[in-house]
Amino acid sequence: MDTGLRKRTTASTAAARAAADAASEPLLRDDEDRIHPQMSPGIPTMPRGSIIVALIITVVALWTRLYKISLSPFVVWDEAHFGKFAGYYIKRQFYFDVHPPLGKMLNGLAGLIAGFNGSFEFESGARYPPELRYSVMRFFNGLFGALMAPLAYYTGIHLHMSQAGAILVATLVIVDNAFCVISRFILLDSMLLFFTTLSVYCLVVFRNYQKTDPFSPEWHFWMFMTGISLGAWVGLFAVALVGLHTIDDLWDMLGNLKMPAKTYINHWIFRIAYLIITPLSIYVACFALHFGILNRSGPGDAQMSSLFQASLAGSDFKSNPLELAYGSKVSLKNNARGGGLLHSHVQRYPSGSEQQQVTCYHHKDSNNEFIIMPAWDQPLEFENTKFVEHGDVVRLVHAQTQKNIHSHRVAAPLTAADYEVSGYGNATFGDANDLWVIEKVDDWTVSKDVKRIRSLTTRFRLRHKSIGCLLRSDGVTLPQWGFKQVEVVCQKKPDDNSPSNMWNIELHVNERREYPPRACLCLIAHADTSLNGIQLPTPVPPGNANTYRSSFIRDFFDLNVAMWTSNNALTPDPDKEPDQLVSQPYHWPFLIRTLRMCGWGDHEIKYLLIGNPTVWWGSTASLALVVSLFLGYVVRWRRGIRDFTTLAEWDNFYMAAKVSVLGWFLHYFPFYIMGRVILHHYFPALYFAVLAFGFVVDHIARKLPSVLHIALVALVAAVAIANFLFFADFSFGMSGPASAYANRRWLKTWNIYS
Amino acid sequence: MSDVRQRKKGAGEPVAITRAQLDAQAADGDDKAAKAARQQVPADQTYSLASNVVLAIVTVLAVITRTWSIHYPGEVVFDEVHFGKFASYYLRREYFFDVHPPLGKMLLAGVGYLVGYDGKFLFDHIGDDYAKNNVPYVVYRLWCALCGAGVVPLAYLTLREMSVSIAGATLCALLLVFDNALITQSRLILLDSMLMLFCVLCTFFWVKFYKQRHEPFSAKWWGWLAMTGVGIALVCGIKMVGLFTMGVVGIATLVDLWELLDIRRGLTLRVFTKHFAARALCLIFLPFFLYLVPFYIHFNILINSGPGDAFMSMRFQETLVGNAATAGAVSIMYGANVTIKHGETSVFLHSHSHRYPLKYDDGRISSQGQQIVGYAHSDRNSVWQMVPLDPEYHPSADDYEETEEETKRGVRYVRSGDIVQLYHVMTESYLLTHDVASPLTTTHMEMTTIKEEDFEQRYNETLWRVQVVDADDGDKLKSKKQLFRLVSHQHRVAVSSEKLVLPEWGFKMQQINGNKNTNEKTSLWRIASVEHERIVDGVEIGEERSDSGKPPLNFMSKFVELQKAMIHHNAALTKPHPYSSSPGIWPFVIRGISFWEKKEGLRQIYLLGNPLVWWFSILSVAFYGALWLVDRLCLRRGLDDFGANARRWWDRAIGYLVVAWALHWLPFFLMGRMLFLHHYLPAFIYSTMVAAALFDFLGRAVFAHVPRRGGAAGQAVPVGVWFSAGPSIAYYAVLAGVLAACMWSFWYFSPYSYGSGFATVEQLRAHKWLSTWDLQYA
Repeated sequence: MDTGLRKRTTASTAAARAAADAASEPLLRDDEDRIHPQMSPGIPTMPRGSIIVALIITVVALWTRLYKISLSPFVVWDEAHFGKFAGYYIKRQFYFDVHPPLGKMLNGLAGLIAGFNGSFEFESGARYPPELRYSVMRFFNGLFGALMAPLAYYTGIHLHMSQAGAILVATLVIVDNAFCVISRFILLDSMLLFFTTLSVYCLVVFRNYQKTDPFSPEWHFWMFMTGISLGAWVGLFAVALVGLHTIDDLWDMLGNLKMPAKTYINHWIFRIAYLIITPLSIYVACFALHFGILNRSGPGDAQMSSLFQASLAGSDFKSNPLELAYGSKVSLKNNARGGGLLHSHVQRYPSGSEQQQVTCYHHKDSNNEFIIMPAWDQPLEFENTKFVEHGDVVRLVHAQTQKNIHSHRVAAPLTAADYEVSGYGNATFGDANDLWVIEKVDDWTVSKDVKRIRSLTTRFRLRHKSIGCLLRSDGVTLPQWGFKQVEVVCQKKPDDNSPSNMWNIELHVNERREYPPRACLCLIAHADTSLNGIQLPTPVPPGNANTYRSSFIRDFFDLNVAMWTSNNALTPDPDKEPDQLVSQPYHWPFLIRTLRMCGWGDHEIKYLLIGNPTVWWGSTASLALVVSLFLGYVVRWRRGIRDFTTLAEWDNFYMAAKVSVLGWFLHYFPFYIMGRVILHHYFPALYFAVLAFGFVVDHIARKLPSVLHIALVALVAAVAIANFLFFADFSFGMSGPASAYANRRWLKTWNIYS
Repeated sequence: MSDVRQRKKGAGEPVAITRAQLDAQAADGDDKAAKAARQQVPADQTYSLASNVVLAIVTVLAVITRTWSIHYPGEVVFDEVHFGKFASYYLRREYFFDVHPPLGKMLLAGVGYLVGYDGKFLFDHIGDDYAKNNVPYVVYRLWCALCGAGVVPLAYLTLREMSVSIAGATLCALLLVFDNALITQSRLILLDSMLMLFCVLCTFFWVKFYKQRHEPFSAKWWGWLAMTGVGIALVCGIKMVGLFTMGVVGIATLVDLWELLDIRRGLTLRVFTKHFAARALCLIFLPFFLYLVPFYIHFNILINSGPGDAFMSMRFQETLVGNAATAGAVSIMYGANVTIKHGETSVFLHSHSHRYPLKYDDGRISSQGQQIVGYAHSDRNSVWQMVPLDPEYHPSADDYEETEEETKRGVRYVRSGDIVQLYHVMTESYLLTHDVASPLTTTHMEMTTIKEEDFEQRYNETLWRVQVVDADDGDKLKSKKQLFRLVSHQHRVAVSSEKLVLPEWGFKMQQINGNKNTNEKTSLWRIASVEHERIVDGVEIGEERSDSGKPPLNFMSKFVELQKAMIHHNAALTKPHPYSSSPGIWPFVIRGISFWEKKEGLRQIYLLGNPLVWWFSILSVAFYGALWLVDRLCLRRGLDDFGANARRWWDRAIGYLVVAWALHWLPFFLMGRMLFLHHYLPAFIYSTMVAAALFDFLGRAVFAHVPRRGGAAGQAVPVGVWFSAGPSIAYYAVLAGVLAACMWSFWYFSPYSYGSGFATVEQLRAHKWLSTWDLQYA
């Protein structure tokens, strides 16, 4: 930057006019004036020895991520979750989790390499069995964490920082204690961070080719890679960053009147292909792989449609009796996306009728079982199997408590516009409000004319006989008194077409031995006295595997909706979440809270989730500095003062500021709206803040003589490294009593020791 | 579209011309453009005779529609139950609490005061009869109706100031005159009509100020700038919505300042700083100061204790005459018989010789210890005594040194920070908590008592630390006013209670347990009564009968406390209401609010917009957005149909109104509280102004007398030139059509607004255009 080119305006109007002439020259991107950049040297020349520098950075990063990685032979922190999920991939059992599957599949792969057979349950704090080489799995995570550093270095170079500045960025990534410790365990975070870093790197390189050589092979490659890295990790926030950049880019080109329309349209087409279709395909492909691997029945079955479950190996649905008969013991699945199983339990509603709760539940247990019974005035016939048909009036008797599913004109607990559904009466006592009309909607396999209700494939509604309302579950989560299960109501103004009002039979048992259920004893008392002696009807014949099929697309949407809804249901519960886990987003940039990742006994190896204060506080201040610089330059430009000699120079400043500040903003502010936040959610945003840190130090230092430039950068790096080493035990594992680290408790809120 | 194509082909030349023009205009700043604009509509024409006549007519019409049969129904309708009541409290000078700032209610009360009403009636229930209770409700309603009617002439004048033709401004005025929702909301005792009036007033002031921009720092300029600040303060004084209004003015000011900053405008930094400071002064500091004024009056009127006491701190309550909670506070001494009352739910800490059941319904096991429960009344089982530490079990007890006063009086006072035992007098046992889950809340600890013989093992579990709120360690614990916590010395849980009722075995009394989070409000208690030989007639021997140890709160502390409480309780208004709705459906007349209903005559007052007006308005806003986008895209491609003048007007006039609409609507999406249709009304007014301005712009452009293609080169004439033409016959015809339809629709739906009812159910059903309108008798 040549300072001689800057002009300072005096207070007189004449001088201002003179400056106005200068201002009409291209200085900044200005929509109104439609000035276009001269094609700038967008691709930075690689500084000498960049490969060697990158190698050194990688080696150092690997050392920090892998040093003493097997020190604690216990399940640390969320390894309890992600180790377990890895186990499910190895056992090929279907499980459910709110995160997309790629990271967990990679952990599964790590488990495979480590020779993990899936038998270890990853109980929190448990000791790893000798045959499980947990260090291999951790090593795998550590690799992803280490690779952030060289990517950060190259990102710096491609953001047109100096060699020293780029090294500073990589150094800050390496020496952040939080990045370090989170990469050392079997978690998702290191992969999330790696893919975030990769997306930014690809985006920045792509942008440089966009400026110099659009439609070149490199341009295609890097845009494609941007799409791949976005799809591999669906960080919605990273997608938003790339999206906003792309809109900015397209808007910029729209103003270029020299660009032929065809070229412009091509820009659009390739962006759609690379930045929308590619990531989507990768995302969907991950799920295809997920479903492909997890082909056995497991703990996550109940989140999915009944048909999907039937397709899993080990599911007993395939042997379900085909057609529903009176006396069948069934579970009822709601047909809305992510719908649960009709459920009841002894707990009562705290308000309304205060009768027994009826809910939808996403896990299988015996409280989901109901027995289909005829209306009160109809006897249950035992001599002949009587099938349930469209239009029949039935009762649903909860197998565990003998209560009848009941509705009445009492407002539902949450959806006050609809009626409450409760468990009422018992096997002998009840009223007309226990009666439901079963209405067949359609069937996946047979035509509409078939009146009988089939397991799994028939969708039907349950209409309350006296009120006319429909049994409904619409994903409304009950508070703690309902155990965060889903509310079930009777819809006052029945919407016949809503899938939330449709149900299907999932589990279906109708065998001699189970028959008759206890609930019916009273009704057959006149027929026979002893259970063993009665004449039992012929069992309802089972279906076969081909009867039950489901489609990938449907399963994909089901799983995604279920992930979305349960993510929303995970609001913090002050009764349950321990205080020290929960933090507020405003704590993060200032490193107000720290988090213990494991037990804190004197003889345990302890890990503390804490950032490197130099990096955290410095990066937060840098964000403010970048914004101030940006505003300062714009205001000065408005006043006719030139700070940039070429438009390309301004463009590069603008790009770095945009990526770091906008990226940070998009990865940080959404957490203010979300209910469930923990310290490590800040880490992706921290990466952008670190970019801002390196960039702003470099930007300012560059204005100094080159010796001072290097010195300033080196000083910042040295402080950060010293700070890292001082805090190193928090990341590498503390042994001995935590109070030995009292001198590192710089803020009272850090829970280093109690 | 064909125009666009054609001109794109010969991209070279015309584009160059446009760019040159643009540059020339930009170099001159907006002076030239603005002067040209002013020439188009000279100032005197804005207030021409024709315009003033129309203004008078629409004002009269507005008053008529809003005051028509205003006495009906003579009963408390909907939120009159709140705002009428608040007015009464002002007249009675009793302290009340509301989530809205005081100005609106104070104005209402002022009206009541002027007609000599004493505030006897408290508007307790919807449907209470006014005539029987001798309430001047018609005067109250007239005041609101007149405020509501004031919206119409102000909207008219604002549009006139924005260079909209008389016809266009009349369209806006009449759409507002005949909107059912505005009428319904204005003719009842509610705050919204005042809110709407001040919103529009603030916009009017800003427009007036903006038009003075060529004579900065003149008297008029300062005057209108200050008035804009006053407008902001007025809106903020009614409801917090004022913050949105402030946001609109703020955005416009920033845009304005950005233009002034341009070096090509030739302003020195010093002048610019002056511009900046003037705006900061008038638009931030002035409104803030004015916002305080109603609060100051509020505190000076409401000097007596009233229903709002409980929302405020003890120190605040001390300032109210006749506050029961602060009268007769005494210091608590060890050994005195005390009753302890829960701060939030007002139950007494109670124990009796019944035990917890061995097993709960969910299978958990209790300690079977003596029950500790919360009971709404005080009886002999609510009597406790504080017992100091016993040196036998706890060595640190020896440390205590009596003060001179204590030695003289022969007592020892309970002080904040003391560790005490709580002795239950009737059952001769001591309060204790232990690591057993409480009956209903399994995450909390069970409370029970033990006898003295069990001290050997469990003494430490019976110890409680007294933590007095807002007091230092060593301060004496006082009865009545002071809130305190009892925190278990061993388990660090606080004695706490929520409104959870125990089953039969607990006699339906309230659960009390140990809460690990010791900072919650649920663990606050106060001493309700004290019995001790030294206390006679509520005063300790040797003490003055004085309540307050600290000086009374000053105005700012009171203001800050009230403001915090308002924000807190506003956010807490989450209790579902059958007629609450989500902001997404508001502009589309999907659902109304039932204000009042009467079976006989099928009468119902149902807040519902005039569907034609509302749909017209929202469509216009959407159309504006689309046109704006298309224009910007075209401009980016070098096609300039609008011309800089028209675009300036398009952005600064209609654009301002669109931003106002958006800022008065979109923020509601982020709010967690219960929301109602009437929250949209200010935004609706802005959207109607957009609709009329856009209609005028397009109408004058489309039906212009100027040929669309003129000039030697056969170039298209910019839209801006069309706009400079006056309205044509065709324009008037379309306008009349739109107005006629909206007026018919008003008449058709007027029974909803005035509660005039329907003859038959069939008729009523015919008026139910959408199935989502939940009318009572349809």
